[in-house]
Amino acid sequence: MTLDSVSLSRLQFALTAIFHMLWPVLTTGMAIFLIIVEGLWLRTRNPDYYRHARFWAKLYVLNFGIGVASGLPMAFQFGMNWAPFSEAVGDFFGTILGFEGTMAFMLEASFLGIMLFGWERVPPLVHFMSTVLVAFGANLSTFWILTANSWLQTPAGGQFIDGKFIVKDFFAAIGNPFMRNSVLHMFFATLETSLFVIGGISAWYLLKKRHEEFFKKSLQIVLAMAIAVAPLQIFIGHLSAEQVYHYQPTKLAAMEAQWETIPAGQAADWSLLALPNDRAGRNDWEITIPKALGLLLELKIKLSEPVQGLNTWASADRPHLVGLIYYSFRTMVAIGLYLATLMAVSVVQWWRGQLDRYRWLLWGWIWAAPMGYLAVETGWIVRCVGRQPWTVYGQIRTVDAASNLPPAEILISLVGITAIYLFFFVFALYFGSRIIRKGPDLTLHPPHNSVLAVQHLPNQRPATESI
Amino acid sequence: MEPLQFFLPQLWFFILGLFLFLYVLLDGFDLGVGILSITASSEERRSILMTSLGNVWDANETWLVLMGGSLFGAFPLAYGTILNALYLPAVIMVVGLLFRAVSFEFRENAEQKFLWNYAFGVGSFLAALGQGFALGALFEGIQVDGAGHFVGGMFDWLTWRSLLVSLTLVQAYVLVGSTYLIMKTTGDLQKTHFRTAKIATITTFLGAVFITVSTPVLSEELRVHVFEGDLVYIFQMIPLVGAWLAWSLFRSLQKAQDIAPFIWTVALFLLSFIGLGFLIFPYVIPPKITIYQAAASPSSLVFMALFVGFLIPILLAYTLFNYAVFRGKVVAAEE
Repeated sequence: MTLDSVSLSRLQFALTAIFHMLWPVLTTGMAIFLIIVEGLWLRTRNPDYYRHARFWAKLYVLNFGIGVASGLPMAFQFGMNWAPFSEAVGDFFGTILGFEGTMAFMLEASFLGIMLFGWERVPPLVHFMSTVLVAFGANLSTFWILTANSWLQTPAGGQFIDGKFIVKDFFAAIGNPFMRNSVLHMFFATLETSLFVIGGISAWYLLKKRHEEFFKKSLQIVLAMAIAVAPLQIFIGHLSAEQVYHYQPTKLAAMEAQWETIPAGQAADWSLLALPNDRAGRNDWEITIPKALGLLLELKIKLSEPVQGLNTWASADRPHLVGLIYYSFRTMVAIGLYLATLMAVSVVQWWRGQLDRYRWLLWGWIWAAPMGYLAVETGWIVRCVGRQPWTVYGQIRTVDAASNLPPAEILISLVGITAIYLFFFVFALYFGSRIIRKGPDLTLHPPHNSVLAVQHLPNQRPATESI
Repeated sequence: MEPLQFFLPQLWFFILGLFLFLYVLLDGFDLGVGILSITASSEERRSILMTSLGNVWDANETWLVLMGGSLFGAFPLAYGTILNALYLPAVIMVVGLLFRAVSFEFRENAEQKFLWNYAFGVGSFLAALGQGFALGALFEGIQVDGAGHFVGGMFDWLTWRSLLVSLTLVQAYVLVGSTYLIMKTTGDLQKTHFRTAKIATITTFLGAVFITVSTPVLSEELRVHVFEGDLVYIFQMIPLVGAWLAWSLFRSLQKAQDIAPFIWTVALFLLSFIGLGFLIFPYVIPPKITIYQAAASPSSLVFMALFVGFLIPILLAYTLFNYAVFRGKVVAAEE
């Protein structure tokens, strides 16, 4: 890649997207967990559930701030670096981003204040509703963003006239072919990642024998949810791959590093590991599982549609970076399988009443904590690098979507933002681990119900602290 | 053209104006408090300052996202062209907002707070500065070709006038931040902010007078627009009303009133906004591209207006609810 303005803009968008993704993944999924612990508290009045809500909210809010901040450069980049794209598809794409802001962000941001600092200021039920609305807002955001992105993958609901997209039917554009599975896949991705982060941290406490009763509760809640979430995510992942097979042959070929076309009606091998050679148009070496490709794609041995090979297309019409796409896909799948296996093994041990007995099992959970993130990032790499050379699949090429900016200008922002993000990343890990090492406050008392009497109290967080 | 093709862009101009006004007002006091925190004399005071924003800062910032998203949807051409032209001011603003957003939680968890104190204060200042430059540059006009694409240079936005607009906006944010703090604090801290509010009233007033006088003097097009258009009476009223509001604000500060200074400041912001709105209308990329040229297709505008129009009252309702829940003074915790 040369350092022209298109590559720089792509690099900047990719970096900001990869960094931004890390934070909302946790807040979106964890919000649902927070509903559950707060609901359990309201039902059982066991103060430990209240303390769970307060403890995890600390990690939540740490992530939330960085998520909000790192999302801004993404939104602005559409105009700054991708002005021709914005002009061409603004009618639909911009409308959807506008919806995300008005419907989802505002809801989440407004009720977040009450959720975090309003314990003493509103009745418990109003507080619970605020938590529900925060989670609802966050997940609505997933819905709109994935709708917008799916539309880039499978544009529908109108037509391109002189390179500008004219919407005929908004609901058809929103309900584009990829929409449903993509939204579900991301919904479960945020939930699964968050569950295994919470589970992993809980396992760490169990391993250290700190607050064991307390963290057994959270591990059990996580595990109970994972019984449904982990297998469902694999199933929806399968449906998504099937759709790629159908709608985006260039992406499927790159995901499988398949250079030559396999005609319909044949059985095909599934490549397990390979070294793709983009220049030569083949894999230098490859380990395959015989006849498995059809099974994976359609649950039968013979393919009903051809799988087209990358060499079918001219070099300018297919994705490059095949190795990245190929291994990203395998990483994501492997993690999905690992998490489901971990869930299954843990359920058996739970059944036997020995969930916290085996160190290897707890270590398995600790290792699982970062894996959801890796799966999400690699999944997005497959989705968006695999879509190249198109920004809007089959309609607008990435080279035509970028603003013609002076490369120096992009370089300034790229270097600046990368440095800042690295700095934030290090500190987020540092402060996150501090919160975890410090542990929950088990002396915390749930708020009293004589709510409106406590009007002029300071906010929940202590306003003074020694330096 | 059908009437709808006039009405819809005008409606969206108004909605975007509303969002921008809410952003400038709400994040304005937020950023203003941030800038003032640089001068806070103790950690305790700084904590109170930041606590007064704890429950609202990200909702306030979200109005910017809302404004951006709606501009993207309603006037896609303007979204691209303006952000292209104002790339560097936008970067300055975003970097400022980034630092400020993380510093809330980072400071909370840190033992050595000074780094995040500066991240918060300087970040707030940079964000305000970037916004001011953007406003100033928009005022001076953006060079575009016939299709409305940006054809100017990388540093077009940097002129002595945009610098003055920017510094005035920083002052205005400090003013609204000070009056917000008067409302939220007590005792010595409140006294300090009566003082900062007075200083900021004067500096903002000077900046505003300069901008008001220089605008018709320096720009031929705006001179015609202001003095020979149908709106000449409105343009003459605005400085008079503005001077009266500034005077009232100053008096309420002299009398050490609790809430009135904030209300007068809001009124001043609103007046300036109406003035700017009339000055820019019907352009969305001054001085050439009108809202009618930059608008999305009517079907998009209708679709968006239905949803967003339905949501605006709801948004405002729960924003008010949020402020009502946390009404009252912020004081230091006893423990």
